[in-house]
Amino acid sequence: MSVLSEELREKIRAEFPNYPNKRAVTLPALHLVHDNLRAVSREAIVEIAELLELHPAEVHDTMTFYNFFKDEKNPLGRHRVWFCRSISCMLRGGEELLENVCHHYNVHPGETTADGRMTVEFAECLGACEGAPCILVDDVCHMNVNPSTASALIDKL
Amino acid sequence: MATVTINGKDVEIGSNERLNCIQAAAKVGVEIPAYCWHPALSVVASCRMCLVEVGDKKPDGTVAMQPKLVPGCQTPVKDGTVIIADSQKVKDARKATLEYLLLNHPLDCPTCDQAGECYLQDYSFNYGRGYSRLNEPKNIKPDKDYIGDQITLFTDRCIMCTRCVRFTREVSGSAELQVVSRGSHEEIDIFPGHPVNNPLAGNVVDLCPVGALCSKDFLYQQRVWWLKSTNSVCQGCSTGCSVTVDQNEDKVYRLKPRVNEMAQGHFMCDEGRFGWKYTHSEERLNVPKIVSNGHSTSQSWEDVLGSVRSSLQKAAAGKQKIAAVLSPWMTVEEAWLLATWIRSLSPQAVLAVGPVRVSGTDEHFPRDLRGNVIEPVKFTIRAEKCPNRAGVQAVAAHFMSDLMPFEELLRLASSGQFSAVYLTGGDPQGWISEMQAEALSDVETVIVQDFLPSPVLQHATHILPSGTFVEREGIVVNHRGLAQLIRRAVRGPDGSRPDSRILWELSGRKGLFQSESLRAEIAAAVPALAGLTHPDLKSTGVLLESAQQVTI
Amino acid sequence: MATFEPALFARINKPDSASLKTYQADGGYSRLKEFLSMAPGDVTNIVKDSGLRGRGGAGFPTGLKWTFLPKDYPGPIYLAVNADESEPGTFNNRYLMELDPHQLIEGIILACHAIRSQKAYLYLRYEYGTSYRVLDAAIRECRAAGILGTNILGTGVSCDIILHRGAGAYICGEETGLIESLEGKRAWPRIKPPFPAIEGLFRKPTIVNNVETLCCVTQILYRGTAWFKSMGVPADPNNPRDPGSYGPKLYCVSGHVNQPCCVELPLGVTARQLIEEHAGGVWKGRRAKAVVPGGISMGFLSASELDTPLDFAGPGKVGCLGLGTAAVVVVDDQTSMVDVLYNCCRFMSHESCGQCTPCREGTAWMTKILERIRTGQGRTEDLDLLMEVAGSMGIIPGTTICGLSDGAAWPVKNAISKFRSEFEDYIRSRKASVTSAQQLMAVH
Repeated sequence: MSVLSEELREKIRAEFPNYPNKRAVTLPALHLVHDNLRAVSREAIVEIAELLELHPAEVHDTMTFYNFFKDEKNPLGRHRVWFCRSISCMLRGGEELLENVCHHYNVHPGETTADGRMTVEFAECLGACEGAPCILVDDVCHMNVNPSTASALIDKL
Repeated sequence: MATVTINGKDVEIGSNERLNCIQAAAKVGVEIPAYCWHPALSVVASCRMCLVEVGDKKPDGTVAMQPKLVPGCQTPVKDGTVIIADSQKVKDARKATLEYLLLNHPLDCPTCDQAGECYLQDYSFNYGRGYSRLNEPKNIKPDKDYIGDQITLFTDRCIMCTRCVRFTREVSGSAELQVVSRGSHEEIDIFPGHPVNNPLAGNVVDLCPVGALCSKDFLYQQRVWWLKSTNSVCQGCSTGCSVTVDQNEDKVYRLKPRVNEMAQGHFMCDEGRFGWKYTHSEERLNVPKIVSNGHSTSQSWEDVLGSVRSSLQKAAAGKQKIAAVLSPWMTVEEAWLLATWIRSLSPQAVLAVGPVRVSGTDEHFPRDLRGNVIEPVKFTIRAEKCPNRAGVQAVAAHFMSDLMPFEELLRLASSGQFSAVYLTGGDPQGWISEMQAEALSDVETVIVQDFLPSPVLQHATHILPSGTFVEREGIVVNHRGLAQLIRRAVRGPDGSRPDSRILWELSGRKGLFQSESLRAEIAAAVPALAGLTHPDLKSTGVLLESAQQVTI
Repeated sequence: MATFEPALFARINKPDSASLKTYQADGGYSRLKEFLSMAPGDVTNIVKDSGLRGRGGAGFPTGLKWTFLPKDYPGPIYLAVNADESEPGTFNNRYLMELDPHQLIEGIILACHAIRSQKAYLYLRYEYGTSYRVLDAAIRECRAAGILGTNILGTGVSCDIILHRGAGAYICGEETGLIESLEGKRAWPRIKPPFPAIEGLFRKPTIVNNVETLCCVTQILYRGTAWFKSMGVPADPNNPRDPGSYGPKLYCVSGHVNQPCCVELPLGVTARQLIEEHAGGVWKGRRAKAVVPGGISMGFLSASELDTPLDFAGPGKVGCLGLGTAAVVVVDDQTSMVDVLYNCCRFMSHESCGQCTPCREGTAWMTKILERIRTGQGRTEDLDLLMEVAGSMGIIPGTTICGLSDGAAWPVKNAISKFRSEFEDYIRSRKASVTSAQQLMAVH
């Protein structure tokens, strides 16, 4: 019983022509699986490795280098909200914003809320320093966020 | 020739040699410490232990030194290279690197296997600061005993040299080991469910400079400073890996590969590494016997040897022939002693070579996911499992133009051709089946020289308990004709004797077994074995060209 | 100061600035055919003559880097576009990609032509989702219009761009870390030699260029080298090794200012000018205590150093590492430098790839020492220890494989040497200032 659907496998295979070898498709494959399944499980790694003709350890070590990818023990919630903690955001209240949100939604950085709605993470510089403090909600960056605008955003997720 | 200067000393480098700074310095006895660099693995220059100052000596004699330190492992030397490995800058860099490595290193020396042969201990002693400036908590990482059936990992001892990971990627090709996470949280691990159980797994323990990766077989068994090391040769297959046998009080604790580019390179396989346990088996034959009508009538060596001599002399004088089986596990000297003696008793005596055990096909490494070999081959486990077929055949061929296979000898024995057969065993995995042994049931005199029981014992009239390879000295010749010396490391069980001693005494030679003069005798008599007196025999071994051409 | 006429930012305020239509209406791609008909070496010479230096942080002369490729290499040669922009305080590449992707694309095509590459991999940090969508759309527009693909505009030149998203690691901005990451491996920078121009992506000759650098290439080709050299800080005639600081630069200003912004100005503007004339001055009526000149890796300018010209040579003269990404971050006089330094060290230890000993252990140790200081358990000797640790790591002394270590060391060196009394007072006061927020983020 395969963890990766045929559709997902097709999407991964579609990347092959872009690179001279299959190994380079490791990150795109991890992203595709992670977005779709909210985690990259052990079985998924084995299947990705098979598709890419790699040993499972060669996929797994790349995956763990970026603390971006979750494994099956800590899957992502429906949404992922990153709070920048680097210098420009820290100087304008970014850390307090994170603390406020964690307190409000009763969750720690790296964890998912009990209702599965969102996973809260701290991030390093998100490159939106002109709008510090900023947060990244899934794939969209929001700037000049304060605790109330953050809650408003999150409640709409 | 190129001249390289290290710490003010000049050294000549051959035009064919491609050396880095570490290797060049070693030629003049200067140690440049290093962890991640290994001659059989790729260069990563990540441990930063080998940092030195490097420069160029111009033709006019002036020296231009590079402003920054460079890793010695990634810097090749050429004519005019100047290396400074003893300046304050270099010393400070080494102190700093060692301090960094010790920051999160647990104080495990009292219980760590590696103590006494640990590069972290040695380099800290020679180049380190001598005290810790850490006032912060250390990172703690969990131990992992699931790394392999033979391998356990003490994760927080790891200094991230990545030798083990590179070994599984570049030498075995099985890629079980990986580095997970990032930065100071990195750990060595396996992918769950894929432990390091490839045929070369044990090498990662040797490669680990510290006590992170440990052998479960050796764990907590013995402190290394009590071990005495003897150079020898693995007897697991015809690759003939150079090894050291580590023992204390006549108990072998482990085998480790010894670097020998003429033999196998740097590594050895697990079958050889762990395949010596039979030397301490409870089933070792340890009582010499004369057997008649199912009862043993004497158990003293004098009696047994005397009876062997007289039985064979009597058989040689009779109408039927006598025969001897030269096991491909015997050394060249032992084969020579037996062959010359048997032939001296009877010039028509038949000499056969014992069964040549072949298992599967040659296994080359590295191999990819599908099992295909990746060139260049870095290690081979040979299908032919005898350590000295070439050497024994060279001896046999000197006496018999047509070598007789073992099966043929058995056939002749069962058809009543022999009145006496002298059999030598030596294959720890068994060399004769019950059915094969039946062929000897009607032979009047059956002499068995072996160290483990086998089906042939029930037909034996004389049992001579012999020695395993760690108890004997002699020459073995590997698949490509390399003659190497196995050396006596331990005494066998009371009641057993090394084959060389048994055969020396049987053949009437006086005194103790003299290997050197015997080798000279053989070298003079057998052209194919002329190389046995070469001085290299005692170090890397000697290639005997013509020994390869002898086939059965 | 006379108002500067932006070139890189000429279109960003136009409606629909990212579309092909807007770019072409402004003259974009109008001379692409002409440039692609030039010999590749001629394009390289133009870029060399312009004095363009890489905008990604290292400031290496771009045209010169292109000449390091092996001559007559049968191919393939790759261009890797470094869009991993992760240096804290930096967001200028984001502006360029989100608001004027075609300027970048044209620069990529021109660079590929100069280096004889037919394939460019655009390594984009994952967090720039908008940039990804905009670039993806722009690339498709180009392909449809025959501006990307085979036989571009009938010139016989082929070029295509593959978008490759990262996964949140700062070290992927190091050129060989980027290459390793693109190849699907852990982003452990490679030892050099060999350099990427000889053996890079997929072991083929590769040039890695920053986004802003490539946008400059477009402007240099269209506006000419004389235009490019008319602004900036000329090379020091007494120093034959000084390549000068020519051309416009995008400066980011953030932190404790009233109007954080990204502004295009000739190289050599000072931090004071940026803060007062372009960012509305220090916020809340306060004064600047320290200013980061070019991303935190470069260290800090003290309040008395704000008139340092921010060109490639200026920050180095006052003890900073260099111009870096020209990302200016302002710290006001009510903020503790201990907190600021802690933030910088925490970032670096989190991002260290872990390959070499001094960086892996040293960055984490410096962070731990600062943590201890911030729990009120610091000692004055810790400051000397921090200086010693910082002094022993980096490619400058030769003890590490890449420059992340130097970037980790410099804030420590500058902060402690330029603000030593503040650190000593802090330690003496035995103050504890670990916020509950920071305790939440305890894993660094």
